[in-house]
Amino acid sequence: MPTLLIAILTLGAVGLFLAMPGGRADTRRVGWVVLAAAGAVLLALLLRLVPGADPRGLFAGFALVAVFAALRVITHGKPVYSALYFILLIFAVTGLLVLLEATFLSMALVIIYAGAILVTYVFVIMLAQQSRPAPYDVKSREPVWGCLAGFLLLILLARQIELFLVPAQRTPLPAPIAEAPGTIEAVGVPLLTEYVVAIQIIGLLLLAALVGAIAIARRRPTTRAESEGDE
Amino acid sequence: MTDPTIKRIETVLRKPAVIFGAGAAILLLVTALLALAFPLYKPLLSSQFSFSMIVLAVMLVLILSATALCILFERKIAGFTQDRYGPNRVGFWGLLQPVADGLKFLLKEDIIPRHVDKPLFLLAPALALAASLLGFAIIPWAGQVRWPWMPPDAPPLSTQVANLNVGFLYLLAVGSLSVYGVVLAGYASNNKYAFYGGMRAAAQMISYELPLGLGLLVVLLVSGTLQLDQIVQQQAATGVWNIFLHPIAFFLVLVSALAEANRAPFDLPEAEQELVGGYHTEYSAMKFAMFFLGEYAHMITSSALIVALFFGGWHFWGLPGPENVTWWAMLIKLAVYLTKVALFIALFMLVRWTLPRFRFDQLMRVAWQSLVPIGVALLAATAALTYLGWQRNVWASLAANLLLLAVLLRSAARSKRPVTARQEDLPEIDVRPTT
Amino acid sequence: MRDDDIIVLKEPELTPAERLYLPQILDGLKTTLRHMFDLQRRHAVVHQYPEQTREDTGELRTANYHGVHRLNKDPDGRVACVACFMCSTACPAHCIHIEAGESPWPDREKYPVQFDIDELRCIYCGLCEEACPVDAIELTPLYELVSCTREELILDKEKLLQIYEETKGIKPRRNPPVTDYGLTGTQGLDVAEPNMKRKV
Repeated sequence: MPTLLIAILTLGAVGLFLAMPGGRADTRRVGWVVLAAAGAVLLALLLRLVPGADPRGLFAGFALVAVFAALRVITHGKPVYSALYFILLIFAVTGLLVLLEATFLSMALVIIYAGAILVTYVFVIMLAQQSRPAPYDVKSREPVWGCLAGFLLLILLARQIELFLVPAQRTPLPAPIAEAPGTIEAVGVPLLTEYVVAIQIIGLLLLAALVGAIAIARRRPTTRAESEGDE
Repeated sequence: MTDPTIKRIETVLRKPAVIFGAGAAILLLVTALLALAFPLYKPLLSSQFSFSMIVLAVMLVLILSATALCILFERKIAGFTQDRYGPNRVGFWGLLQPVADGLKFLLKEDIIPRHVDKPLFLLAPALALAASLLGFAIIPWAGQVRWPWMPPDAPPLSTQVANLNVGFLYLLAVGSLSVYGVVLAGYASNNKYAFYGGMRAAAQMISYELPLGLGLLVVLLVSGTLQLDQIVQQQAATGVWNIFLHPIAFFLVLVSALAEANRAPFDLPEAEQELVGGYHTEYSAMKFAMFFLGEYAHMITSSALIVALFFGGWHFWGLPGPENVTWWAMLIKLAVYLTKVALFIALFMLVRWTLPRFRFDQLMRVAWQSLVPIGVALLAATAALTYLGWQRNVWASLAANLLLLAVLLRSAARSKRPVTARQEDLPEIDVRPTT
Repeated sequence: MRDDDIIVLKEPELTPAERLYLPQILDGLKTTLRHMFDLQRRHAVVHQYPEQTREDTGELRTANYHGVHRLNKDPDGRVACVACFMCSTACPAHCIHIEAGESPWPDREKYPVQFDIDELRCIYCGLCEEACPVDAIELTPLYELVSCTREELILDKEKLLQIYEETKGIKPRRNPPVTDYGLTGTQGLDVAEPNMKRKV
């Protein structure tokens, strides 16, 4: 089982490396074929192993869309398309979260990422739009190291997944809690009781970041009278 | 010069008896068909899931035709405010104008300029329309209903497509998506005017999401729930609409909703006088119509949301309340809800033909320097009231609102800052060479 | 200019209500609402065009309305134009096309063999009317200019003369012969009278 997973992941990493922008067109095509093969094997594995009958197809569908969108985010040559695939990725992940009944988290994800952060991204990308694609869009800078690092990370994650997937140890999914687990109460109450210190620290950090950003960004235009006074 | 048959058709269609007769005939026909097919769909009405699907289908048809009618009413109101009649040629009182408009949009040449980014160019109008329609899923149209053939102890059905426990958080989420249609249209058109329109839309949406969120948070604090049907139930049970508790929050939400729907006075993304047509400069035929429909659908969603949050949804004093779950009560509630939504749409249109458009810096200043501070102050005040347990006390809330208004008025009166900054009011900028 | 000629205007101070902006919005809404329900004014202002025209209400100023062109005829029924090209030179839209030929009549040197006006290019400024030395080209009060093709709206000499026949009832030729050419045939002296006076 672990060998199979590692084989799939290796295949994926090689495919991704080949499909990175900057290579020749036919190489990239080969990369996509390899990626599709890896994806198909992974899908078969998921469908066979993930317990539960009903949401299995949905889960596989969302997962596949998420992986595909994530791949396109880093392999697409045009930054606007990358941002759009990021949005698609977020929607796929939202679907997964809804399957897990984490509705609050899913909506928060859409509002924060799709609604705010990516609008800002698209805004910035449009502002910085050149007449021709920038060199860093056409050619990826460190494809080898990038793919390797991602691959290693996935291997580490796979060890956890593998524990979950081994049939002997496969436990049924925890039964849904009677009180829907993802409602705003279920998320909000622990945040303000159990994790209140952490929340405060995060808030402080964000505030510091905000102040820092303003301090860096703020270059007050000096009036002519002031500058004359300086001299 | 004119074809006599065409002329005859025109005059016949312009008779009120013909139009209303045809309308009544269609209505009768539909009712008869529904009555005949009743045994077919009777079991479907009894389960919540299939009933929600039926509500979805009915409301979708209703809203798509309502958007078409909205265009007629927009033009009518534009005409009335300018001492004109508005469209009155196609059919009696111009009632067939939407049909003519739709036909025209369908028959126009669908131009895709050569220099555009084609996939995004095609995607943008679809996104604009779809994102606007998504919001209808959680509007509680007519409260709850129990059909006569259902056992009296069965749980009543809710006339809502989906009763999400995240409630209007979902509306915020899909509302924030509607900007993508506009931004992508601006980007894909590869045209500087469209591009400026898209940029403005992006900046405007990000800015006005904040006051909208703050206004909604105030409602959340008052009602203690995110679910729209429960918020409406609360207002109906007490008879006190949230507008009486928090007029300022209503104002915040109203202004932000106008801005989010790209309506005047916040229609900078499509400012005709500055940007030709803004983001839809390059669009024609049905794709252009989809932007139009999306805008009006967004307007209807915003109105429905505001009505549910602040105006008691389907509730009106003296009419059947939440405890009445018969089918005729449902129809009355639906009618009340739709009337309120229609009134709000009329208000939106009236505002469009009354107010001049903001300049972009004014737009930003309104959001960041006026609405957001007001929202934060109001939120703090409501939080204090909630802590004291007075969040549904009309007098306490109104007092807090009035206090806030007084503080605002005072600070506005004392401030010597020019309301609209002009070039000569700005400090001279000394650009020194960076060495 | 003296210093005390300069009037310095100061912006009026805004009242607190105006600074809050909201009362002003309500004021504006009041205005639009008032107009919205003012049926009387609406009826008074709007003309329901095809059924109710300005001719009916007597508001059309036939004497100087800038509508479709016409080519006037002189009292003998000949085209009054002398093909001097003044109008096509004056035309800012270059919509008048004239081909001159030698006049068959002794009283003038040239006459238009062809005289086309592209009504689609025309901007109805009336400069041709001003430029014409013999008042041959004039703008009529006709404004219903429609056709199924573009070609139909390039009016030729025959069409323009026909328009004269149609419109001389509502707008008679302003000032018959201004030419210095001698009188011919049936033309009576009384017609030429005004010009004789003007020459003096």
